[in-house]
Amino acid sequence: MGEALKHPVAWIALAASPIVVLGWSGTAPKIKFTEVGQQSGATYQHRTRRFQGPHGDVLRMFTSGGAAAAVGDYDGDGFDDIFVTDSDTGRRNHLLHNNGNFTFTDVAEQAGVAGGNDPLSIVSDAIFFDYDNDGRQDLLVARFGTPILYHNEGNGKFRDVTATSGFNKFGNTIAVIAFDYDNDGLLDVMFGNYFKPVNLLDLRTPYVLPNDLDNAVNGGGVTLWRNLGNGRFVDVTEKAGFGKHTGWTLDIGHADLNNDGFQDVYLACDYGTDRIFFNNGDGTFRDATEKSIGFDTRKGMNVDIADYDNDGWLDIYVTNITDEYMKECNMLWHNNHDGTFTDVSKETNTCATLWGWAAKFGDFDNDGWPDLFVVNGLRSGSKENYIPVLLNMITKPGIDFTDIRSWPNIGNMTWSGYQKKKMFRNLAGGEFAEISAAAGVDNDLDGRGIAVADFDNDGRLDLFQTNADQRSLLYRGVTQGGGNWVQFQLTGTKSNRDAIGARIRIRTGGLTQIREIDGGNGYAGQSMKRAHFGIGKATAVEDVEIRWPSGRVEKIGSVAANRLHRIVEGQGRVRENDTNGNK
Amino acid sequence: MRLTIVALLLTIGTAPAENPPGEEVFEQGIRALASKDWDRALGYLEAALTAEPDNMRYGSEYRQAVLRRAQTLHPKEGQPQDFERALKFFERLLTKCPTAANAHLNYGFAYVDKIPAAGAITQVILANTALGEFTRSLELNPSWIGYYTRGVSYLFWPKIFGRAKQGVSDLETALQMQKAAPKQPYHVRTWIALGDGYWKTDELDKAHSAWQEGLKQFPESVALQARLAKNGDDLKDLVESSLDPNKRVDTNLKDLWVKP
Repeated sequence: MGEALKHPVAWIALAASPIVVLGWSGTAPKIKFTEVGQQSGATYQHRTRRFQGPHGDVLRMFTSGGAAAAVGDYDGDGFDDIFVTDSDTGRRNHLLHNNGNFTFTDVAEQAGVAGGNDPLSIVSDAIFFDYDNDGRQDLLVARFGTPILYHNEGNGKFRDVTATSGFNKFGNTIAVIAFDYDNDGLLDVMFGNYFKPVNLLDLRTPYVLPNDLDNAVNGGGVTLWRNLGNGRFVDVTEKAGFGKHTGWTLDIGHADLNNDGFQDVYLACDYGTDRIFFNNGDGTFRDATEKSIGFDTRKGMNVDIADYDNDGWLDIYVTNITDEYMKECNMLWHNNHDGTFTDVSKETNTCATLWGWAAKFGDFDNDGWPDLFVVNGLRSGSKENYIPVLLNMITKPGIDFTDIRSWPNIGNMTWSGYQKKKMFRNLAGGEFAEISAAAGVDNDLDGRGIAVADFDNDGRLDLFQTNADQRSLLYRGVTQGGGNWVQFQLTGTKSNRDAIGARIRIRTGGLTQIREIDGGNGYAGQSMKRAHFGIGKATAVEDVEIRWPSGRVEKIGSVAANRLHRIVEGQGRVRENDTNGNK
Repeated sequence: MRLTIVALLLTIGTAPAENPPGEEVFEQGIRALASKDWDRALGYLEAALTAEPDNMRYGSEYRQAVLRRAQTLHPKEGQPQDFERALKFFERLLTKCPTAANAHLNYGFAYVDKIPAAGAITQVILANTALGEFTRSLELNPSWIGYYTRGVSYLFWPKIFGRAKQGVSDLETALQMQKAAPKQPYHVRTWIALGDGYWKTDELDKAHSAWQEGLKQFPESVALQARLAKNGDDLKDLVESSLDPNKRVDTNLKDLWVKP
């Protein structure tokens, strides 16, 4: 059935036909992926930045991210494309054009988006978003440096508009999201910064590393930039209430966590406590960490948000380090519906994923319950292990952790390397079962980012995995006997055109599910902006409701299964025959 | 060795003919504790220890008071700062009386008491610092409790650090010392820990032998029975659970002076 639905035009044809029924048996389908990166032309070797000088090795170790992927349909052909970053000096980024047949062509040079790794800047993350609401996906490249904003010119080319964008502030940025924090119809931007804003490539002081390995407060924090609507952004970090956060931010997640119609923010921080900020609805946020989740000392790496138990409230998944020598446990923050969260990672079997990096929810078997894929692994090198070397350093009395000279070189030693990835199948909301080997995704590369998308439009989610200093992987979803599904592509009119922050609620049988469109949640990976729902045996969705960021609530009624529905704010379901949803 | 044990027991457990210099103020501290008057209680107990720095019971009760206060103020494990008072006190005490072996032991335990309230990396630093104090205590007084304590501490370290063998060595020494002394109920702990140490160093036969020998001498030991009843992953889960650095370790030394 997959082939028939590979082109959007085919979906429209099906829309007029009787409901398509998948052969879902009701027994648990086996989630299955096949790695097709090489044959698809979608695998690229990443290289972390090599630093000069006697402590270059330590700096490289501390900046071993930068392998990121962003998904977006930049040319509006109905097939999601992938932007893949590289990080070493002079290395080029990749814009992988989706050819529609599960092959990809790198068009970064022609498109003008390959650069960014100059001698004083390191590319670290990226997102597609339509900042000017012109219907085309623009591209924002985050760096240890100043970011680069590319405007999508609509002819397969991008134009660097950084100079006029207002994005002029240096930051050691490792994470970036786009969301409309003030619901004014324009997408704003938040950067998550790891180190404080000193240029590591032109180091003037050796005191740049964390001041405490469990409670550091000398990191880069975040910056929030308000979109003024004229192509310019202005720094509102202090005004919005984020100025006091000085943690080592590794990832940012946004969502309406308290169901008040405004986007809230969760910050995953290395070397110390995560932070949760609730949106006051007046352009400011309040730090609710203490009451909401409590302070922690863990090594937060990732934020992804989904309603894993289908109770109508969004939950949060954060990866930490749970390895032989450090047992932090991840956090699956169950939403208590009162502004507080309870960590249920142990109870749900999602606690231990070794040295965690990105994690993404997705209904990989279309049974109506979001599953979870987690990548891990810091550095796979020689047989010699860095941990005992590190122990000697950290237990030295009076050691100054901030001083780069305190840290021993890692050379080619292994540190939490060769770790098997984890795929957790959601067993209907209460527990998860780890099935990575059977699912075919238990690679042992040094994972960083995950982008989830349906690259072949067959209703089965695919995965793109980035790896530090290693090649990327593309997993094609090939699950047989999975459930039926629906996808929604939303276009805002009063709301931001990408509909980031929109909430879709569907009802099938006795099950109600919600999704929110996000603007880059999850470490080093932006997933598709379509909302994907598995609906199991159901052959239609009984009710669909969209709550737009503008506040408009739109009831769509019943829609058919196994197709993509394009919905325009205020117009309901649009049965357009183009691929961009705007006719 | 026998003399050491006798001397130790005299210090920590036997009723002296006359009240030791700190006893009165110690009792005042215990009474203040009962009414949860934390600051007064800790003050009295610190005064008792200042009068008798090497008194293991005073030191242990003082740490337990600090722990109870921490868990009352900040439920579950307390906050890291709740344990600072005890650490600073022992540091001052040992600056004045650097040869008080039991004070070093309690100082080490004060670091251990803080571990569950600390972050994962700070836990490593605390555990390592505690080991240093246990070693200093042993250098001053090579006692059974010193070897047992340091031996068990080594076992809590993950395998990657390769410290379990040192733990086994200390526990073997502790075993020799207890064999040369009158049998005490708490001696069962050495058999349990030594078996766990052998298990952790992949000497499963020796682990079973230690547990079996221990059970002969302490047939009521539930911990030994449980280990001998399990195999494979079940045994692994049991031993690893008992050596989980994230769980609070019972550092109350009252078994040494309270008759069962």
